[in-house]
Amino acid sequence: MAIEFIWQLPTGGDGRHGDATQTRRGERSGLTRPPFTEGVSDPRGERFNFLDHLHQIARAADLAGFDGIQIQHDPQGDESWIVAGYLARGSRRLKLLTEFEASRGSAVYAAKNAASFQRFTQGRFAWQISPGGDAALRRQQGDHAPDSDILPRIGEFVEVAKGVLTQSPYRFKGRFFEVLDGGFNGPLSNNPVPPVYLSGGSPEAYALSAQWADVHVLDAAPVDELKETIAKLEALAAGQGRSLAFGLRIDVLARETESEAVRDAQRFLAQSGRAVGSSDPVVAPGLWAGFATERTGAAASLVGSYGTVAERLVKYAEAGVSSFILAAIPHLEEAYRIGEQVLPVVRSRIATRLSKAA
Amino acid sequence: MTIDIFWRIPTHGEPSSHRSRKPWRGDWFPGNDNLTKPGLGGGEDGSTYIDYLAEIARAAEISGFQGGLIPSFPSTDEPWVISSFLARETKTFRFMIPFQPGFLNPVVAARQTASLQRATGGRALYNIITGGGGPQQLWWGDSVPHDDRYTRTTEFLDVVRGVWRGGPFSYQGKFYQVEDAGLPDPLSEEDFPEIYFSGSSDAALASASKHADYYLSWLEPFDALRDKFNRVKERTDALGRKIKTAVRVDILARPTEEEAWEEIRRGFANVDPAALARFQGAGERTESVGAQRQRGFRPTTINSYTDLITEPNIWSGFSLLRGGQTQGIVGSYEQVAERLDDLVRLGADAFILASTPHLEEAYRVGEEVLPLVRGRPSGSATLRAVG
Ligand SMILES: Cc1cc2nc3c(=O)[nH]c(=O)nc-3n(C[C@H](O)[C@H](O)[C@H](O)COP(=O)(O)O)c2cc1C
Repeated sequence: MAIEFIWQLPTGGDGRHGDATQTRRGERSGLTRPPFTEGVSDPRGERFNFLDHLHQIARAADLAGFDGIQIQHDPQGDESWIVAGYLARGSRRLKLLTEFEASRGSAVYAAKNAASFQRFTQGRFAWQISPGGDAALRRQQGDHAPDSDILPRIGEFVEVAKGVLTQSPYRFKGRFFEVLDGGFNGPLSNNPVPPVYLSGGSPEAYALSAQWADVHVLDAAPVDELKETIAKLEALAAGQGRSLAFGLRIDVLARETESEAVRDAQRFLAQSGRAVGSSDPVVAPGLWAGFATERTGAAASLVGSYGTVAERLVKYAEAGVSSFILAAIPHLEEAYRIGEQVLPVVRSRIATRLSKAA
Repeated sequence: MTIDIFWRIPTHGEPSSHRSRKPWRGDWFPGNDNLTKPGLGGGEDGSTYIDYLAEIARAAEISGFQGGLIPSFPSTDEPWVISSFLARETKTFRFMIPFQPGFLNPVVAARQTASLQRATGGRALYNIITGGGGPQQLWWGDSVPHDDRYTRTTEFLDVVRGVWRGGPFSYQGKFYQVEDAGLPDPLSEEDFPEIYFSGSSDAALASASKHADYYLSWLEPFDALRDKFNRVKERTDALGRKIKTAVRVDILARPTEEEAWEEIRRGFANVDPAALARFQGAGERTESVGAQRQRGFRPTTINSYTDLITEPNIWSGFSLLRGGQTQGIVGSYEQVAERLDDLVRLGADAFILASTPHLEEAYRVGEEVLPLVRGRPSGSATLRAVG
């Protein structure tokens, strides 16, 4: 499978200062960003908000050579489907990997909206369905499903969406969704099902991915650990007569030199309010934990020079990862940095190794 | 208050005129026009139907319409998607989004709406629909019966309003329960969308009177429409609220009345006899009170297009020419404007107009008809004639 590089879009805020201060560039809300002092005129008025900046990030990812963007699901931020549509016409190329929870509503309605996305983007829409937060967070979202129903509901959601997108008449009666004489005809027929990205480390999550995912997205971890997980998931999928691709959600802190990268990593940790040295953030060579919050998501970040970060990404690719979901703050500037300094190296190394292997 | 006039976005495809049966313009149905490939929109050039819809939205805003209704039916593209796609390239166009509340989690819907408000600078509106029922309701994956659906609609709007300003908001309904919910800052600073509400049953009126800003009806015979609007207003007054009314109506306006009817005559001559037979028959089963009312207003014997002229300048055969409503206004620019003013006098506060093809007609109607509509000058609301 071809390797894809997907840049993350931070729908809840971005910043250059670790996780401690999330800012929303362009935001007009007085609560999020102080305006200039009274002594300086501000021409912006209410013309901009954070969505304008998200558009900038998506354009940056496009121009810097990424293959797609991941539109993060963040209940504290802007809604991912609207953001996806808002950005869609800013590029004719980028995959729009849109993250959401299966509690958003009817699977048929989601599939119907997806069919329009596919028609208007010529098939660039993809789904990342996440289990969401704990029970209290879910109740805030009007979702009273118990923990044990979360993954089965994702399974039904995908089954029904695939059903109506590919069959007509389609019928289904499950625990969460029901359809009679369903399926799309006319202009909405014949559209590709959005590729489904799932994640999770429990045996139930693995079983769900084996049955329904196109891509199983792994949390950042040392490459040897991931090899085991990949082997396990491949066996499970094969048992269903299916094959799975693998994604990796990992942050990248790359600088010209190793020491600059380490200095910036330490600065981010300090800004995040973590006492440096309280526990060793380095979990494997060049792999640091501890930057992420619930909001940013990645379990760990590669830290190093352009060359070493590129080499580690190649190692993950050799271990079987084909979808890299990358992020770094601030997302606009770093999209260019990673696109210019790291991706070309990764791409050419993967190409030469593949041609040697052939 | 002055009158708001909207246009419509042809999600059901666009023929080149009222006479044509070929709704293929803009790659609406790739593969069916013998020009493009089936499946994903667009030919080799990479453009798709959204590019044509973008043209119409811009034509509507350039021509002075408030925005447009974006109908949602089983074979059409979805208005949430269209609105978010067109947010950045329109300036004043307001997106009227029909949706059935049952299909979305209300907390997600609130966040989705607030984000669309942020994306458009506050140009999102709801057209709350509650579903015609019948077999189609389970096509959508919805098994809730007609009157319960309106209870659900009311609860849905309770929750969306409840969380809008940031909460914490808790709610215990039959269909929805939330705990300590609320929109995050800065989403909670957006204006709540205006609500246009459609549905003609008693259950619909009960829900509309609680939540709607505008009660929206298809055009009906003027007396029936006046009664319907009065009923809605009485129910809303009883709750201590005010509601406005809006009419969705197709129009066919030409420099002379003769030219307008000639267009109808030729369109009618093209109607498939089987479609005409269905039109005269009982039609497909529906629980929709609104749809049944429309059917009740049709003549039973139809030999010529003139049999469908039910009032001066009103033709009751529009649904024969294209999907959608039955009654529309036909005439010279002056006549069409006068009929719209008649509707203003019987109580209409807003219109959603449509004519085919929507792009060219947006300019025509904007340039020739809208300037002739007197509407209701600001401050004259209290002088409104009742008769
Ligand atoms: C002006 C107008 C526009 C409507 N647009 C839609 C639409 O886009 N999609 C849809 O499914 N129903 C639409 N409807 C149908 C109604 O909202 C409603 O679902 C139906 O009339 C059943 O309700 P009732 O039995 O209370 O009349 C529309 C109705 C009216 C009057």
